[in-house]
Amino acid sequence: MRNPQWRQQGEEPDYRFTLANERTFLAWIRTALALLAGGVLLHQFSHALGPRWVVVALAVLLAIIGAVLSVIAYTRWRANEIAMRTGKPLPHSVLLPLLAGFCLLTAAVIAVLMILG
Amino acid sequence: MTTAHPPAPLPRDPGLQPERTALAWNRTALAVAINAALVLRAGALGGAPLFVAVGVLLLLAAGAATAYSAIRKRQLLRAVGTPPQSSSLALLLAAAVTLVASAAGIASILTIR
Repeated sequence: MRNPQWRQQGEEPDYRFTLANERTFLAWIRTALALLAGGVLLHQFSHALGPRWVVVALAVLLAIIGAVLSVIAYTRWRANEIAMRTGKPLPHSVLLPLLAGFCLLTAAVIAVLMILG
Repeated sequence: MTTAHPPAPLPRDPGLQPERTALAWNRTALAVAINAALVLRAGALGGAPLFVAVGVLLLLAAGAATAYSAIRKRQLLRAVGTPPQSSSLALLLAAAVTLVASAAGIASILTIR
């Protein structure tokens, strides 16, 4: 693969920051894979929970968010690399509160299903 | 008697940066392997050979990520001065594998039972 265009701009950052950015990307990828596994596990092992359509909808939603996060992981890594190369501030993101809110919502829905079921 | 110049201080954690980065790749490989197992289970229980094939593909990807973890560690440990940049190809592939796993997961939720 050719070196991408954005790698031509700015200066190479301290390698520790480059590696930290690589690890942050990997942490987001693992978060995506964990949400996906959570959705699939919920679907495969929650036969006592109902109504079934709620379980299926929640499982699909978890998997879709996993898919979206995997794309965001890459675009964020790239944006961070560019920001570090050009000396700009790191891009602001509302991803963390959104993700925390979604995890809370998921837990609440599962709790309600467990109480009702 | 001349005072000798103190030796230039070594970078603070020359060995730990490669180790942390390699471990991050290893953990990611493990997360891929878990999803591979779930897709394989869906395929085996649902009698869907396509899911089994995707599960095997994801297992291979987990193996590749484990191998890349070792490669990356060696690259970083050997490098003097500025170690090699992150490979945008490796990162793109990691994101692509997660997308494939997501597609298989969604398909298995919607089609199996």
